[in-house]
Amino acid sequence: MGEVIVITSGKGGVGKTTTTANIGAGLSQEGKSTVLVDADIGLRNLDVVMGLENRIVYDLVDVVDGVCRLRQALIKDKRYPNLYLLPAAQTKDKNAVTPQQMQELTADLAKEFDYVIVDCPAGIEQGFKNAIAGASKAIVVTTPEVSAVRDADRIIGLLESNGLKNPQLIINRLRIDMVKRGDMMNIDDMIDILAIELIGVVPDDEHIIVSTNRGEPAVSNNESVAGQAYRNIVKRILGEDIPFMNLESDQGFMTKLAKMFGFSKKK
Amino acid sequence: MSENAVVFKGTKEGLYILIKEEMNLDNIKDNLNEKIKPSKRFFEGAKIVNFKGKQLTREEFDELKDLVENDYGMSVLEEYSPNTDMLSDKEEIKESTTYEKLPYDNVIQDKVLILRATVRSGQLIEYTGNIVIVGDVNPGAQIKATGSIIVMGTMRGVAHAGSNGDYGAFVSALNLLPAQIRIGDIITRSPDGLGIRTSVPEMAVVKRGMIFVEPYLPNR
Repeated sequence: MGEVIVITSGKGGVGKTTTTANIGAGLSQEGKSTVLVDADIGLRNLDVVMGLENRIVYDLVDVVDGVCRLRQALIKDKRYPNLYLLPAAQTKDKNAVTPQQMQELTADLAKEFDYVIVDCPAGIEQGFKNAIAGASKAIVVTTPEVSAVRDADRIIGLLESNGLKNPQLIINRLRIDMVKRGDMMNIDDMIDILAIELIGVVPDDEHIIVSTNRGEPAVSNNESVAGQAYRNIVKRILGEDIPFMNLESDQGFMTKLAKMFGFSKKK
Repeated sequence: MSENAVVFKGTKEGLYILIKEEMNLDNIKDNLNEKIKPSKRFFEGAKIVNFKGKQLTREEFDELKDLVENDYGMSVLEEYSPNTDMLSDKEEIKESTTYEKLPYDNVIQDKVLILRATVRSGQLIEYTGNIVIVGDVNPGAQIKATGSIIVMGTMRGVAHAGSNGDYGAFVSALNLLPAQIRIGDIITRSPDGLGIRTSVPEMAVVKRGMIFVEPYLPNR
């Protein structure tokens, strides 16, 4: 019986879909059979980020409505052998499925896969309720912004009142240079407010934008710092004890590089 | 005022010469000469079924018949009949607008939905008949027709032609870059990566059980 994990945030644009794609690809790289479920009905993106848009024939709503079998709607990833995607419908809306149906669907998937990762839509309405319905574990994604942290806090409260105790936290798009200047919230401040277990910090990285636009998760890119961060998150999900990356050493390297080329960092 | 005294009308049965009621014989003859002369070679050998519209007398009929047959090498098939009235004539004109006499094979006479808009992600246009989109179809949009689909713009969404199982349906666009094309129950998807970018109008058809995409104006 596999584990159903929902990736959620409350606020939009913090990187739920990117995180879902990278964790899914990372778990697959580690040899776990994984299925990604796009619960963002009507605003689907996961298929685009995975580069699988043109393979969609049936979607989640078709499965729920009994138009097709579950197997028919699953799209096999083009790079990872044991990674599958269940796309959302684009021409319907969140009310096309009920939490009850989502629960049954994720339970069916959990029978066949080691991990079921559900990409939750932004907001706290029907779509959120659908996405968390079948989950046994939640990962909350936030960015170091007051608004994102506020929404994450709200989401953690809702998760707990829906029986999803002890959600884990991913801090996304952190810029260590800004934190050092005091222009960005630091990790400790955020953990202080949210008071949940931190499972990973993903630095802001250009590779993410490039890989998202290409439809290739950054987790397989060894040069990407964000990719490295996602690989670590995946290992922590699998239960390994991985120390957090020293993001500052990377900063030091960049500074050295800048000095080499004759630029001096503004203080 | 004699310009439109006569009109040539093609119908199911053949060519008729329509004569306005209020015209006198001289006007009619002048007008006939005027119309036929510049394209005499075109009319040569043409078979006229009969005259219509104005009620002609026996003499007038013979005179006109004589004119078109002897001066222009056309022939009038039917004999003089005194009971050609305007009413039945109007019906004939209506019938003449059907496409049955068009000299082409691929004539589609089904219903057509014409939509002048950009079809955006999440929008589904479904129609029993053919669909013409005057505008673009964006990724994530879906066009579904029991007949064919024509996009006067860029097609980037999913096109499903012949959704009732008609393999004769086609999908064409000025810029055909769809995520997926389905014709009947055959599905094909665009190649991964950036793919080939052509700037010519293209058309997707079913051949040998597969969907082929090719330019429909090969000389462009």
